[in-house]
Amino acid sequence: MENIGINLPLLLAFLINFVILFVLLGIFLYKPALKMLDQRQAKIREGMEQTELIKQQAARAEEQVREQLESARKEGQTMIAQSAQMGEKLKGEARGEARREAELLIARAQDEIKRQSDETINELRREFVDIAITAAEKVINETLDKPKHRHLIEEVLEKDTTFGKN
Amino acid sequence: MPKLGCSTAILVWSCIILLVLFIIGLAIGPIGASILGTEAPSFLRLTSPHVELPSEEVSNIAGFPITNTLIASWFTIIVLVGIFYACTRKMKLIPGRLQSLAEMVVEGLLNFVEEAAGKKRGRILFPAVATIFIYVITNAYLALLPFFGTVGITGHEGTFIPLFRGANTDINVPLSIAVMSFVFIEYWGMRSIGAFRYISEFINVSQIGQGFKQFFKGKIRPAVTNIGLGFINLFVGMLEILSHFIRIISFTFRLFGNMTAGEILLLCVCFLVPLIATIPFYGLELLIGFIQALIFAGLTLAFGMAAITPAHEEPEQT
Repeated sequence: MENIGINLPLLLAFLINFVILFVLLGIFLYKPALKMLDQRQAKIREGMEQTELIKQQAARAEEQVREQLESARKEGQTMIAQSAQMGEKLKGEARGEARREAELLIARAQDEIKRQSDETINELRREFVDIAITAAEKVINETLDKPKHRHLIEEVLEKDTTFGKN
Repeated sequence: MPKLGCSTAILVWSCIILLVLFIIGLAIGPIGASILGTEAPSFLRLTSPHVELPSEEVSNIAGFPITNTLIASWFTIIVLVGIFYACTRKMKLIPGRLQSLAEMVVEGLLNFVEEAAGKKRGRILFPAVATIFIYVITNAYLALLPFFGTVGITGHEGTFIPLFRGANTDINVPLSIAVMSFVFIEYWGMRSIGAFRYISEFINVSQIGQGFKQFFKGKIRPAVTNIGLGFINLFVGMLEILSHFIRIISFTFRLFGNMTAGEILLLCVCFLVPLIATIPFYGLELLIGFIQALIFAGLTLAFGMAAITPAHEEPEQT
């Protein structure tokens, strides 16, 4: 053993050296470095989890937005349909009213026309009666009882379709 | 043509200079001298290397030898602690360069340990395995520094004693690491499965006891079987214990042999062909230093794993 140099005090010194190195490396290297590695790992994991969470939230939000858009579109469509219906109805109402008014106007115009034509006819008849009486007077040279004649002629005319009162 | 870091002219010139240095070294060294019959100038003449297996005593304090390997080992500790103190002084979540170095070392070793032992057990085994690796590799690499073996004092008998010598080349250093490795392995074994159970895995007398119990109850046949098997187990356990101690020796001589052989190789090459012929061998020494550190740490890890895994249990899946 002497030849290769095994020496008990020296061996003890080296053992102590190793223990010292073990302790010092533990203090200065392993503990801080492992702590930092663990911390970083935890941080990264946390970050990734958060990212995942945010991604999920974003997906949910997108879904919500899509749903809202969809419902809004539906609502809009129904509103359009409603308004179209309403418009249609209004149009129909307006048309009906217009027609009624027009009919009213037409009726009134017809009435007026009728009234005028009646008047004219009456006037014509009166004049005709007068003429007829005058003519008859001339023919028989005698003044007839005017009201009586008139009555007579009117009776005749009454039978006639053209000048008859309707 | 692949891009070089320098111009072709510089490459050619440096090759020529290296070749010339090599040839000069060959010529003035003992090989060239004996072939050519030339005599090197006296300032280049080398003393033939002498190999001293025990480390040399530089000084002696109250009977305690301060050897050059002890100084080298202190130097190793100072360098390591200094570097890693500087690296981990200000730990930040976003590491700087020095911190990255420390984390790289720790993470690499931690991965190495966890690969074999799993996450939970890895943390138990890690400090010792890592310390062994770092200590061995630093001892080996620092021994390649120029002032190792060259700077020294003249001893009492007029002999030259270097102040530094590669710590791994002193048998006491591998032996101390091997003893520490043994201590750690046994400590892990006792801690993880209980001291009594750990020891009883080697010295298992329960089967013999059971056999004797059966013998007195009159069941002769199972009693004989149990007693016989019990003694065989006891013998196997003894062998097991022996193997644990033999590990110390194999650890010691593997490292000591490799490192000492490496140093002697460098010494011889340096003597035979002076100047630059040693450079490739320095590269070889770097490789060997790394491999030896890895083997020492890896075997400690493997034995530690064997110790903390109870004999009748499947190893933990990583």
